[in-house]
Order: sequence, then structure tokens, then C-alpha cells
Amino acid sequence: MSVRQVVMGVAATVIGGGLVVSLTGAILSRTSAQSKPLHATVKGTAPTAEGTLPHAFLDLSTYPDSMGGPHGGDGGTHPDWVTYGPTTDLRVPAHSLVTMTIKQYDTGGSLNNPYFAVPYGTVGGTVTVDGKTVSTVDPDGVGHTFTIHGAPTNQDPLFVSVPLPAVSDDAEPAPNSDYPPPHVVTFSFITGGKGEYVWNCEYPCGDGYYARFGGPMATRGYMSGTFTVE
Amino acid sequence: MSEAMVEFAAAPPSTGGGGLLRRLNLLTAVAGGVLFAAIGWYISHRIMQLGDFGSDRVVTITLICWALGFMVGIGAFAGPLRWLLGRDQEHEDEMFLAGKDQGIGRYFRFTTDHKVVGIQYLVVTMVLFAVGGTLAMTIRTNLITPNSGFLGPQTYNAVVGIHGLVMIIATIVMVTGPFGNFIMPIMIGARDMAFPRLNALSLWLLVAAVPILLSAAFLGGIPTGWTGYAPLADQAPPGMDAYTMTIIVFAMSSAIAGVNITTTALTMRARGMTWSRTPIFVYGVVASVGLAIPAFPMFMSAEVLLGMDRSFGAQFYVAAGGGSPWLYTNLFWLMGHPEVYVIVLPAVIALMEITPVFTRKPLFGFNVAVLSIVGIVGLSVMVWAHHMFTTGWAPDLNGSFMLTTELISIPTGLLFLVIIGTIWRGRVWTTLPMMAVYAMLWNFIIGGVTGIYLSDVPADYALHGSMFVTAHFHYTLMGAGLTGAIGALFYWFPKMTGRMINKRAGLVSFWLVQIGFNVTFMGMFAVGLAGQPRRVVHYDHLFAVGNFVSTMGAYCIGVGMLILLYAVVSSWRHGAVAPANPWGAKTLEWAVPNPIPLENFEVLPVVISDPYGYGEGDPVLPPTQRELVPVGAPRDPVAEDDTETSQS
Repeated sequence: MSVRQVVMGVAATVIGGGLVVSLTGAILSRTSAQSKPLHATVKGTAPTAEGTLPHAFLDLSTYPDSMGGPHGGDGGTHPDWVTYGPTTDLRVPAHSLVTMTIKQYDTGGSLNNPYFAVPYGTVGGTVTVDGKTVSTVDPDGVGHTFTIHGAPTNQDPLFVSVPLPAVSDDAEPAPNSDYPPPHVVTFSFITGGKGEYVWNCEYPCGDGYYARFGGPMATRGYMSGTFTVE
Repeated sequence: MSEAMVEFAAAPPSTGGGGLLRRLNLLTAVAGGVLFAAIGWYISHRIMQLGDFGSDRVVTITLICWALGFMVGIGAFAGPLRWLLGRDQEHEDEMFLAGKDQGIGRYFRFTTDHKVVGIQYLVVTMVLFAVGGTLAMTIRTNLITPNSGFLGPQTYNAVVGIHGLVMIIATIVMVTGPFGNFIMPIMIGARDMAFPRLNALSLWLLVAAVPILLSAAFLGGIPTGWTGYAPLADQAPPGMDAYTMTIIVFAMSSAIAGVNITTTALTMRARGMTWSRTPIFVYGVVASVGLAIPAFPMFMSAEVLLGMDRSFGAQFYVAAGGGSPWLYTNLFWLMGHPEVYVIVLPAVIALMEITPVFTRKPLFGFNVAVLSIVGIVGLSVMVWAHHMFTTGWAPDLNGSFMLTTELISIPTGLLFLVIIGTIWRGRVWTTLPMMAVYAMLWNFIIGGVTGIYLSDVPADYALHGSMFVTAHFHYTLMGAGLTGAIGALFYWFPKMTGRMINKRAGLVSFWLVQIGFNVTFMGMFAVGLAGQPRRVVHYDHLFAVGNFVSTMGAYCIGVGMLILLYAVVSSWRHGAVAPANPWGAKTLEWAVPNPIPLENFEVLPVVISDPYGYGEGDPVLPPTQRELVPVGAPRDPVAEDDTETSQS
């Protein structure tokens, strides 16, 4: 075979193989059950201890099953798993005041570690639960937590942890809803520079799994996700 | 006339039977598999869907039926069935099964000729590497930035699990499958394997297992990684049932292949081929399959118990039900660590076989090499719990397992010395196979030394579960194992295909793969040392540079592998016609003509010296003298002291 033929053959094989690999990757990517990102909505500015900053808002919910989350109308692969919703991929602006509101529909119990019953990293060290400002909640009555981990990296540190009180076990479903009336938890924090973080729930809510840390607790997209400051 | 030829000459005339047998091929196998699977699914769906474990039972029964139907469709049961019916196969049927005068069609049938099975193994291995490599590219693409979002978390876990298992299966068979089947029987002067039908059976069981494994992708994936650890595996989606069935079918295949290869090597060596005259590659293949024979049943039994957990709620691995996850971990690693040597030993020893050919020197320290192989085989079944230092199982034994693991580096190091001693002051002919020897030495040193760190209990506590471990085992399984297999392919390609491989394309591929490999996994060592855990879809920004570098290296490997694919396929079709012995090697496979006759040797060879005596006479008696050796004569027909053949 001539050199020209070899070069043509090699090029065709590499391009063809590259196309096959790309096609496989594209199919896997498109069919991945990953939730779409939720971008915070910026509405004006707000005075803070760090000066006047853009004010961004983000709304989340925690559900006792996967019907209400990002897993589709049938609940996806695990309809009985607890989940955050509408997504677990959160995006907020850098150098901003972020106010998050989480509607907590799930029941709960005792935290393994009462440390997480106290809010950290929020403005004033407090959260608002159903309109009432508190600096701690009962560690034996927590449904979930929203905890952004401030791992020591070259990014600006961001550690925010907020307890979400549990709904009563015998609460009746709200009218026109499968879920009881939620606890509404609101809190604010200030973001630094751009960075990518992970967050998760620190209340062991993987019922039916070892130490209740399996299932939704061990699977990204249910009780954990990413938090991008952009 | 040889015994075998006499037997063929005396065979009764054909009555023209075997009509159905001759119509079975890969297409009928797939059709049979699909039909049986559909029946299995329908029946199990109707009967067993009710209950807590319905979907797992349905999937398991469907996959069992697939494997059964596939094997029926390929004709695996035709021989036993005819024997049971009193219509045993005739000479003509045996010749048909051996693929006589069938052209390319014999590669798609239940063919018993070891050379056909060897080529079938080679193609299946390449397909497995293509699948596993494609998945590797998607994994690295996902990790190109800390939060690329290319794959969703569950898809990422599924891809990692399937990639791992596909690659493990491919690397297990990559040397003993193609070269152990094609080359080894000729190398020892045999006409075929000891059990030709079992040979075909092992191959087609492997083929049947591949769709079962890939079906996991459509059944929720394998979220556990390739280890399938319980109790996570108890909780996983039905993709885990596919994992379980894959292992069970593959373990059957490897056990059958192991028994066949071992029996062949033990009983069918040519007259005069004493153990000291047996090529070192035969030791490597026998050591590999000899380890696999006790190792894989451990894995198989682990999966049988897991299947019972999943389909019947047995709770062997569920602590809350009285079971123990450590049971799975022990059974798994009782297979898992010998398996590393199942992969690495034949690959490294294939390169050991190659080295004397291209240095024109005897193998340095033949007896040391053999003892090292024996030492590795013995020690490799006593190190499994070094994978479990951090699990909390028997911490008092950590020191013992650390010791045995560090001890195994001694015979492994001796293998290095044998190769280096063979190269030392040799007249090195730097061909593609010889370059693979150099690359293996470089890669395996890095893989081996980092393995010593991981065998050290305190270091393992820091590094366990990190990308450092991933880089380490890729340096051993890919850097040494796959490089050895590619070197073996370069070396035996002229004998297996009758064509010379395209050296230029081979060289480009070699350098791209080796440079890409080291870039990829050096980057992985760096992020692992910095603390990046394995099997995470998102990682911290701290590890961004190392991961980007690794992904670039992986793309380089991908391009290199595609060029290797081109080199193999184009050379197979259009390459220069190879002479019978292009390397001037002295082992028996190079003494047969191209193309190799169906029965390999017209007259069975008689060996009179070892195959590494470069500058000495022919190691085989001239054909005219062979018939003087009486049938049933002792193994060593020539009054020659073995010490003369000792190379050390």
C-alpha cells in the first residue's frame, strides 16, 4: 500500500471512530436523566454588610416522593425516593445577595448530628420558618437540611447549612394536593466569586437503605446536587 | 504416519448426516436467544411479576433464557443431543465442525479448530475493547471540567460500571483467548486443543455474555462500579441482574477454557518437550488459566448469592437480615486479586517469550522465571484482603495481608530481571513487539511501585477509594497487560493472518497510545494524591487541571487505538504476505507453513532442545528422523541431560 493510501485509511478510521464515539456520547448525554439547571432570578439590589449587591431569588421544594421532583410524572426509576425539586442543579450570580425559599413537604425525625439543627452561613445566622425568624430548630424534628459544603479549595469559600423542620407525621394532605401544607423556610446569604460547589441533605432520609444513607442520599439528583456561582 | 492421521484414515465413510448442524450460525444463535428470551419473559412476567422481587425475577429468567437459546442456536448442544439419540457425530461432521473448507463462514459457527477459535477470541476481544474504550471516552469527556453536565449522575455511574466490567472481561481473555488458543497448541506441537468442542463452547458462552452485560445499560445500569459491592448491589436497579448473569455465564466460559488449556498443555506437548524445553509462554498461559479455575467460581458464587438476595429476598449480604456485606467483599476479592495476575501474567510472559527472539539470546534465568511464576500464583491467592483494609473486616489481619502483598513484589521483580537480563548485551532488533517490551517495563514499574504504596496499610487508608487507585490499576492492567497483548498481537500477527502488520501505522499507534496513556494516568495520580475520590460525576475545582490533562491524554489514546485498528484490519486484508518465520524464531509455531494446515503438522514434531538456543542447531528433529521414534516412547526421546538446556 502506498503512503497516501495509508494516510487516507488512517484518517478515515480516526474520523469514523471519532464519529461513533461522539454519537455514543451524544446519545448517552441526551438520554441522561439529569435535571436542567435552575437559575436564580435577579430582582434589583439590596443593602448588605458588604455594600449594595444584586438581589437574587431561588425557590426549591423537598418532596416525600419523586412525583414532584425532576424525575418525571411517573417518578422515574425510583418513584418512592424523597427528592429535592424542581432540580438539583442550582445556579446563582457571583457577589450577590441570594434569598432562597424552600417549601418542605416531608416528614422527618432526629438528626444524627445536632450540629445541623443550627443555620450557618446565612445573613444574621437565622432562617425564617413559616414567617417566624429562628436561629435553631428542634434537632429531633428535622425533615431535611440544605447544606452547601465549603470544602477548602482555591475558590471563594461558601458554607451554608439550613435545617428544614419536619412536617407532622399525621398531617393531612392540603386541598387539591397529594402533600400536606409545607413548612416555608426562607434564608439569605452572600456569594463570593465564581465557583462550583456541591450541596446535600444531612438528615438521613434514605428510608429502607443501610443507615438510611443509601438510595436517594447516595444518588446525585435526589438529595444532593451542584451549586454554581457564575 | 502419525497416530492422528491413521485415525482419520480409518474413519468410517460418511452417511451424509448433520443437516441441521450445518445450518446453525451466529444468526440462528441470535434468533434462538431472542426467541427463548421472549418466551422466558412472557412466562416469568405472567407468573412471577407479582411480589416484591418481580422485576428482578423476570429479568433474571429472561437473561438465562437468552443464554440458553443462544447456545442452542449456535449448535452447542448438537453433539450431546445426537449422542443421546444414538446418532453420534461422524467423521464428516467432525470435519465440518473443524471448519474444513468452509471459508470465512467458519468464523461465525460453532467451529472446533483452535485456530478459528483463536481468531474468534481476537475479534471478540477487539469488539469488547471498542465498547469499553468508547465508554472510557465518554467518562473522560464528562470529567473534562468539574461540572461539565455531559452525563447525568446516574448515567455516569452506569457508564463507569459497564466500562469497568467490559474492560475486565476483555483483559482477562485478551492473551489466553486469542494466543492461548491459536498459538499455544502449535507451540507445544499439538494438532488441536485437548477438548475442541469445549473450546468452541467457552468462546460462544463469552459471546452470549456480551449482550447480557450490555443489556444492563437499558435496565438502569450498574451503579456499583465493576465490583458490584453489596449491599449497594442489593438495592440497585435490574441492571444489576444483568451484571450477575454476565458473571455467571462468563465464569462458566473461563472455567471451561481453563480446564481445556491446562489439559492441553499438560498432556499434548510434543515428544521431547520436557518442562525445561517448554516455551515460557506456555507457563504464562497455564498460570493464568490455572489461577482462573479456582478464582472465578468465587465470583460466580458471590453472584449466585446476590441473585438470591435480589430475586428471593435471601439477605445473604443484608446486615439487617442477618447477612454480611463482608461475605460479598471476601468472595469478590478472592477472585479479584488473583484476577489481576490472570490478566497480567500471560501478557508479561508473552513479552518474555518475544524478548529472546529480538535479542537473539537465550531467555536469561529460565528457571528463575518459572519459579517466579509459581511464586506469583501461590502468593496471589493470599493477598485479597489488602483491598479491604478500610472496610473494618478483620483489622488484626491487616499486617499479614500487607506482608503477603509486599512479598509478591519479589517474584514480580524477578520477572523484570529475567526480561532485562535477556535484553542485556543482546543484539536488539527493535521491532514493534520489542517496543512493547520496553513500554511494558516502563509502565509496569510505575504500576508495581504504586501498588506497594497501596499495600501499605497506613498509606492505603489515605489513598483508598481515590483516583490514585484508579491510576495504579490502569498502569498494571493497561500499561502492562494491554501493552503485552498488543506486543503479542504484533509478534504473532504474521502467523495468525499470514500477513505482515503495517509497521508505520503500528509505530504511530504505539507512540500515541503510550504517550497518551502516561499523560492520562499521571494526571490521575496527581489528582488522586490531592484527594479526588473515584466514581464521582462532579469534582472540586482543585482537581480541574489534572482532570483536563487526563482527558487530553485519553483522547490521544483513543486516536492511537483507532490507528491500531486500522493497522490490524488493513494489514489483515492487504498487508504484505508473511513468510512462515519472519522473525527467525525457534518455537514450533514458526515451523509450520502459512496458511497453517488444519491439523497444524503433517508429521508431529519431536523436540530435542529448548527454543531459545540462538546460534545453536534446530530444536526439532528433522522429519525424516521423527518416524524412528516409536509410538508411546518416553516424553524425552533424546538422551540429553536437561542441564544442557537450562538457560540460567
